[in-house]
Amino acid sequence: MKSKLFILGVIALVMGLHNGLFAQLQDEKSVTITMDLQPILQLDMETTDQIEFVFDDIKDYYAGITKYGATILKVSSTVSWDLYAVGRSNGTTGAEFWDQVIDYGAGNGTNSINELPLSAVELHQSQPNNGAGGAGITATYIDYSTPFPASTVHNGANSLYVNNGTLTPPTVDDKYLAGHSGTTGVGDDAMEGGSYLIEGGYTSDYYYVIDYRLLPGLPAIFPNAFDADAATAEDLVTVNGAGSYAEPGVYTMYVQYVLVEDQ
Amino acid sequence: MAIVDGLPARFFLFLQLMNYNQIIELFFIPLAITFGISVGHSQIVCADVEILPASGERADFVFDSFSKYISGIAFHGIAKVNVKVDDQVPANPDCKWMLSMSVENNPASGTPDDEWEQLLSYGAGNFSPAKIEILDVRVSNICHTSPVDGVYQNFTQTSDIIEVIENTGIRIDAGSCITNVNGPGSYLANYDEFHFQIDFRIIPGFNYDPGMYQLQLVFSLVEVP
Repeated sequence: MKSKLFILGVIALVMGLHNGLFAQLQDEKSVTITMDLQPILQLDMETTDQIEFVFDDIKDYYAGITKYGATILKVSSTVSWDLYAVGRSNGTTGAEFWDQVIDYGAGNGTNSINELPLSAVELHQSQPNNGAGGAGITATYIDYSTPFPASTVHNGANSLYVNNGTLTPPTVDDKYLAGHSGTTGVGDDAMEGGSYLIEGGYTSDYYYVIDYRLLPGLPAIFPNAFDADAATAEDLVTVNGAGSYAEPGVYTMYVQYVLVEDQ
Repeated sequence: MAIVDGLPARFFLFLQLMNYNQIIELFFIPLAITFGISVGHSQIVCADVEILPASGERADFVFDSFSKYISGIAFHGIAKVNVKVDDQVPANPDCKWMLSMSVENNPASGTPDDEWEQLLSYGAGNFSPAKIEILDVRVSNICHTSPVDGVYQNFTQTSDIIEVIENTGIRIDAGSCITNVNGPGSYLANYDEFHFQIDFRIIPGFNYDPGMYQLQLVFSLVEVP
């Protein structure tokens, strides 16, 4: 009993000292700080209104026509991002084909085909895709950074991604300009937020110069048209049979560049 | 005479019968309690201490353009802290005070101690919530009495405390207009020393989850014996 009283006395002493330390007068005031971080995805594009490919010389059919630096893409983003290109048209001849505006002459031969594949357009980007290093990316070509091959080589390395005329993003089998399908992380399938304004300008991962090439071949079958996975040929002969060729005329299509938050 | 003779005899006997435990019980315990109570009431050295916000108890940072993300947003003088410390009557030479600031992020909602409280998340981004360290706070007054006067400070976690006026144990009277003035005074009579302007700055960068965040900056004024 007395030892308990001793402990009680010690506690009382400690409490007394403790109270003494915290018995000071004090006052507090607070300031509330709110922060609204709004996501910003900004794609600046420099390009002509229309990029024209006029094939009026036989060598143009053989060698194709290349438009260097026809488009410049500049990215500014506050979030991780992906950038891809997709071929589209109005679908007048089909979802995955160029629109035929004018049909030259009256010669609609049996093998004359007006369904030109959108994937016949080839792209080349100035900077490689540094956001597609993840193990889950299975694409044969992760981007369009491979230089245009010789006109006699047909491998789909630069053929434009097309998805039935829609904006649907490419899968892990397809090409992105930057970043890729999935949300594993920056470098694996995404690009880090930033801007060409502060990240090194035209040599950075936020600045892409795009070259275009169209190679009809002779006969004009567009041998570099491939499905997005670069494994399935879409040239006119493969799709329509031997002897097929492109019907002379004026065709139009458009390339849509899409900047999205990493997904 | 017999009674007188008997008193010393009984007193001697009483002391002889007391052992160690009885001494503890009768003397130490009451002494300890009395001492504790007396210490508890001996720490009040000033009559009153008070913070009076002059204006602005809220700062809203809205990042809605890329240039704001790059260059940040700064609010100068958006908050003001006015200090008023009254001495006792008669004056107590030990009346001193210190001023400190800390941050609070509503930990009861599960907010980690190094992050802002996230009220709302925009989109489906794969990011982490904003860190407390992106908030820069700068305190200043005309006499530059704070050791951190005019220099942006930041917090890495909620347990961080930044002393605006330090507890040096030495009293520096109002009117000295030097570092750590901590004697009794008021922003009314000693405006240059007892009025503090608060500046905020945030440069968020590109690594945080877009959304709405909130944080409390708490100023504490305490008398120090």
